[in-house]
Amino acid sequence: MKVLAAGVVPLLLVLHWKHGAGSPLPITPVNATCATRHPCHSNLMHQIRNQLAQLNGSANALFILYYTAQGEPFPNNLDKLCGPNVTDFPPFHANGTEKTRLVELYRIIAYLGASLGNITRDQKVLNPNALSLHSKLNATADIMRGLLSNVLCRLCNKYHVAHVDVAYGPDTSGKDVFQKKKLGCQLLGKYKQVIAVVAQAF
Amino acid sequence: MRFEWEVLQNENPEPMALFSVFQTTFLLALLSLRTYQSEVLSEPLPWAPESLKVFINSTHQCLHLQWSVHNLAHHQELKMVFQIEISRIKTSNVIWVENYSTTVKWNQVLHWSWESKLPLECAKHFIRMRSAEDDAKTPEQSFWSNWSSWEEVDVQNSLGHDPLFVFPKDKLVEEGSNVTICYVSRSPQSNISCYLEGVQMQGEQLEPNVTVFNLNHVAFIRETGTNIYCKGDQGDSIKGIVLFVSKVLEEPKEFSCETQDLTTLNCTWDPGSDTGLLKQLSQSYTLFESFSGKKTLCKHKSWCSWEVAPESQEMYNFTLTAENYLRKRSVHLLFNLTHRVHPMAPFSVLFTDVSTTNATMTWKVHSTGNYYTLLCQVKLYGEGEVTQHNVSVEVDGEQLFSGLEPDTEYRAQVRCANANHFWKWSEWTHQNFTTAEAAPSEAPDVWRNVKSVQGHSVVTLFWKPLSKLQANGKILFYNIVIENLDRSSSSKFLSIPAPANGTELNLDQCSYQIHVTAHNSVGTSPASVIIVSGDPGNKEVEEERVKGTEDGFSLSWKPQPGNVTGYIVEWCDRPRGPLCDLQWKSVGPTTTSTVVSSDAFRPGVQYNFRIYGISTERVPYLLEKKTGYSQELAPSDNPQVVMSNLTSRSFTLSWKDYSIESQPSFIQGYHVYLKSKAGQCHSGSEKAVLSDDAVCCKYKIDNPKQKTFVVENLQPESFYEFLVTPYSSVGEGPHGAFTKVTTPDEYSPILIRVILPMVFCILLIMIICYLKSQWMKEKCYPDIPDPYKSSVLSLIKSKENPRLTIMNIKDCVPDSIEVLNKQEGTRKSLTETESSKPTYLYLLPTEESYSGPGPCICFENFTYNQAASDSASCGHVPVAPKAPPSQLALLTSPENLLKALEENYMNSLGEIPAGETSLNYVSQLASAMTGDKFSLPTNPPEPALCSEYKMQMAIPLGLASPPSSGSSSLSSFTLLDEGEHYH
Repeated sequence: MKVLAAGVVPLLLVLHWKHGAGSPLPITPVNATCATRHPCHSNLMHQIRNQLAQLNGSANALFILYYTAQGEPFPNNLDKLCGPNVTDFPPFHANGTEKTRLVELYRIIAYLGASLGNITRDQKVLNPNALSLHSKLNATADIMRGLLSNVLCRLCNKYHVAHVDVAYGPDTSGKDVFQKKKLGCQLLGKYKQVIAVVAQAF
Repeated sequence: MRFEWEVLQNENPEPMALFSVFQTTFLLALLSLRTYQSEVLSEPLPWAPESLKVFINSTHQCLHLQWSVHNLAHHQELKMVFQIEISRIKTSNVIWVENYSTTVKWNQVLHWSWESKLPLECAKHFIRMRSAEDDAKTPEQSFWSNWSSWEEVDVQNSLGHDPLFVFPKDKLVEEGSNVTICYVSRSPQSNISCYLEGVQMQGEQLEPNVTVFNLNHVAFIRETGTNIYCKGDQGDSIKGIVLFVSKVLEEPKEFSCETQDLTTLNCTWDPGSDTGLLKQLSQSYTLFESFSGKKTLCKHKSWCSWEVAPESQEMYNFTLTAENYLRKRSVHLLFNLTHRVHPMAPFSVLFTDVSTTNATMTWKVHSTGNYYTLLCQVKLYGEGEVTQHNVSVEVDGEQLFSGLEPDTEYRAQVRCANANHFWKWSEWTHQNFTTAEAAPSEAPDVWRNVKSVQGHSVVTLFWKPLSKLQANGKILFYNIVIENLDRSSSSKFLSIPAPANGTELNLDQCSYQIHVTAHNSVGTSPASVIIVSGDPGNKEVEEERVKGTEDGFSLSWKPQPGNVTGYIVEWCDRPRGPLCDLQWKSVGPTTTSTVVSSDAFRPGVQYNFRIYGISTERVPYLLEKKTGYSQELAPSDNPQVVMSNLTSRSFTLSWKDYSIESQPSFIQGYHVYLKSKAGQCHSGSEKAVLSDDAVCCKYKIDNPKQKTFVVENLQPESFYEFLVTPYSSVGEGPHGAFTKVTTPDEYSPILIRVILPMVFCILLIMIICYLKSQWMKEKCYPDIPDPYKSSVLSLIKSKENPRLTIMNIKDCVPDSIEVLNKQEGTRKSLTETESSKPTYLYLLPTEESYSGPGPCICFENFTYNQAASDSASCGHVPVAPKAPPSQLALLTSPENLLKALEENYMNSLGEIPAGETSLNYVSQLASAMTGDKFSLPTNPPEPALCSEYKMQMAIPLGLASPPSSGSSSLSSFTLLDEGEHYH
C-alpha cells in the first residue's frame, strides 16, 4: 500500500483531483456535468496527434534503456522477458469512431500512466544510478499527463463525456525484484507496440 | 545406598540374618516401586507440547513454531526442554534435531524459529517435538514425553500454476557466505538451465521436479544485486531471482573520544566498508555509555557527539555498535574525561613592540576550567630557520623574540595541549609579522666597463643588488658621485632609482673617482669607490686556456708584487648574445684563485675571463686573460670549403671564413678526408675507415689557423671526394656529405690554351672578312682586275724587267661589229637606249680604229661577273664583244668568220716576236670556258682559241643583268633562232 500510495495515487490525484484519491475507478455520475478544469485548446486533435507522435518516437528508446539497465538476461531474452504479454491491457480499435477511439485512448493512457509511475518508482530503487532511464521515464509520464488532459478535453467538449471508466495494471510493490523488472519490461514492450498503433490511428 | 550398606556391615556384624531379611524386603520394595514408576512413565507426561503450529516466513526462509504446555498449575513455572526434529521431503529424513530449553509458565505460548538453508519452497518439511522436565542435575534421567505428530510444511502447494519457479526471492547474504538456490519445475521433462551472471550453474536434483544449486563463497558484485535466472529448452518463460550480496560489516576501527571544551565529547572511528545495498541500508552506529546508561543513535557514519553529563562524570565507558540487516559489531572504550582534552587552537595572536631585531608575541587560549594548565608550543620561521619555545599558559600567553633580522618577515605559530595529562596538541594558529627596516649594512658591489669612443670614455657602471641581509629594507635608489681627480673642484651627482643595477657615464679622458651608495627608507649604505683612470692602459695580455667543469671554472693567477687591495674576475654569462651580461666576482688581496660558477654556463660555449688587480688607489688593471669551456663539445659544423686550382694532379682547398672562436671546443686542427677509387694514400696521409666502412685517406692539419690545403699526387681524369672537418680534444666534426671532384686529363689545358686562341683568331678573321668583303673583293679579286694592281705586275716589277709592260686599253683597236637592235617590248638594253641605229662592232682592226702598232689582244674573264656570263652576256650580245664565236658565226658566214679569226689569230701570232710569245698571260681568276653553255653547241674548237686570248671587258652589272632569267633565255633564243638581223 505504501508503494501504491507513492506511485499510483499521486497520478490519480492529478487525474481525478476533484474526486480525491479514494475513488479513482469507474466514476460516471448519471447527472454529471461535463466541465474541465482549464479551458480547452482549439486544436486539440492536432495536439493529441503531436503528443502521440512524440510518445511513439521515444517509446523504443525508452524500451531499450529499460531492458539494458536491468542487466542479463533481459537484453538477450526480450521475447521471453519483455514480450507484450499484458493480459489486462485496455483494448483499442483503430477503425472505431473518433469518440470510441478517444475513449479507448483515454483508458490506455491512464493505464500506461499508472504503470509508468510504478516502473519509475521501482527503477529509482532498483537502479538508482540509471539516470537517463529515470529521465526518460519522467519525460514520458509528463507527455502522458498532457495527452490525458487533452483527450479528456476533447471528449468533454465535443462528445460531452465527463468520465471514463479506467483500469490499472497490477501493482508491483509486492513483487520480488526480478518480477518487478520483468513486469516493467513487459509493460514497456506493450507500450511500444500499442502506441505505434494508436499514433497511426489518429 | 551403597555407602549405607557398608556402614551397616561394619558396625553390626552379628545380626546379619536380621539384616539380610531387611535387605531382601527393601530390595523387593524398591523393585516394586521401580515397577510402579515404569508404569507411570509409560503414560504421557502431563507437560507435553500441545497445539503445535508451524508458520512459514519465506522471505527469511524461517519456520516459526508455536505451541503451549498444558496441565501446568497456576503460577507454576517449570523448566523444560523441548526436543524438535525437522525432516525434509519425508519424515524419515531428519535434517535437524535441537533441544530448546526454557522456563514454561502456566498458559504460556512458546515460540521457536528455525532458518532453513534450503528455500522452504524447494521441499516439504516435517516438524515434530517432545518435551521433558529440564533437570540440570540429572539430565540423562529426563523422561521425554511422546513425540507430537508430524507437522507438514509444503509451500509448493501454494505456488500457483506457473511452469517454473526459482527460489529464494531477493535473498540478502553477506559476502563469502554460502547460498542454496533451487528451481521448481512443473514439467519435469523440460531441460532447465540456470545462470549466474551469464554463467551456467551446475546443480543437483533434489526431487524429480526440484534442482538445487549450492553457491559457495558468493562475492559482492554490485549494489543493485545479481540476476540469477533459469530457462527451459522448450520455450518456457524465463524465471529469475535477484541475489543481494553485501559486504561484511566491519568492526569500527580507531574508536576514540575527546573533548575540547569539557562539555561535549566527540567520538570518531573508521567505519570501514559501506554495506549499503538496495535491500539493505548502510550500517547504523549506536553509542552506549554504560555508567550513565545512556544511548544515542549516531547520525554520521564516522563520528558522533556526546553531551558530557553536568554532574561532572569523569569516567566514561562507551560501547560503539555497528549494525546492519545481517550483523552487529561492537567496540568498547573506557577513559577519564580529563585525560582526553584536546584544546582548541589559540586565538588573538598579536605582535607588539616590533623593532628591527625584537618582537613580542601574545595569544589567548580557550578556557577549559580553572584547574587546567596548558603547555603551548611556539615556533618562529624566518630566513630558513626555525626556533621553538615552550610556554606554560593558563589564560594568556606571551613570548619575546630577539635577535631578529631587520626588514624580515617572520611566521609565528602556536599550539597548546593539556599540561597535566597530555592528550593531543591543538591546531596551530599562525600569524606573520615583519621587523622594522635598518640602514643598508654593506656597500654595493660595483664594477665598470670602459670604452673609448671618439676621445671620450663611455663608462658603464654595474652594481649588484644588495642581499636582503645587507639591504635591511627596500632599496629605493642609488646615489653616484663622480669626482674628477684631475680637477678636484669638478664633481657630478647622480641618483638612480632602484631596481636599476647600472648606468652609463660619458666622461672625458680625465681620471675619475666614482662613489656608489644604496639608500633605503632608513639610511644610506657605505660607499663603494672605484677609479676610472684617464689612461686606458690596454696592455697586451696573453690569453690562457682553462678547463671548466660542471662546478664552474677554477681560475688562478699570479700574485702581484705590489700592494693590491683585491682582485676582480670579469666574464660574460652570454658571450654570444648581443648583451653579454657582464658578471664579476671580487676576491680579497690574498686570494689568487677562485672558482667561477654560474647557472648560465652552457656546454659548448666559450667563456672569456679577465682578471683585474685593484691597486691601492682603487684603479683596476688587467692582469690575465683566461678562456675555456665549461664542457667542450665536438665540433658541430664543418667549414665551407672552396676548391681552387684544380689540375690533373692536385687541387687546393681553402676555408678562410671558418671561425675557430665560435666553435663548441678548442679547435686543434683539421682532418681532410679524401676518397678515391684507387684507395692508395700517399705520404702525408693515412688510411682511415669512416663510419660507413668507406676507406679513405686522411690528412691531418695540426694548425687550426691553417685554412688552406693542397691535395696533391692525384691521378688525371680521376674521381675524388673530399671532406674537411675540424677536430678538437673531444672529437671531430660531423662526417657529412663529401664534395665530389674529377681531375682533368693532362693535355686538356694545353689544348685549350692553343685551340681557344686559334678559334678566336679564325673567328676574328672571318668577321673581318665578312665586314670588309667589298674591300677584300676589290683588293683580292676585283671584277675587273687592275693590271696595275695585279700581283703579276708586282712580280714583273720585282723582276724589274722593263720589257714587260701592261697593255693599255687605249692601245687596243677593236674591230667593229654592226649590231641590229630589235625592239622587244619595254625591255631595253644599254645598247638600245644609246642608239636604235645599227651599231658596228669591230671584230678586226680597221684602218681607222687601229691606233697602235701592236696587235690588239683582248682578255676575257668570264668569272668576273657570273650573272653576266650566265645569262645576259650572250643575250645582250648586240654590243657584247664577249659574244662567243658561235654567235658571231651566226652573224656572218661561219667560214668567213673562222677565217677571219684564224687569220687574225695567226697574224697575231705571227706578229708577236719570238721572244714575246713566251709571255703567258695569267688570269687572276682563271676559269675554263668549257662551263659556258653557249660555247659547246656549234663550234667547239673556237673556244679553245679564245681561251688563249679572251676578250676582257667589263659590263656594268645593271646592264648585264636581265629582268628575269626566263625572259633572258627567251630573248637569247630569239636572237639565236632568228638571227636575221645579223649581217
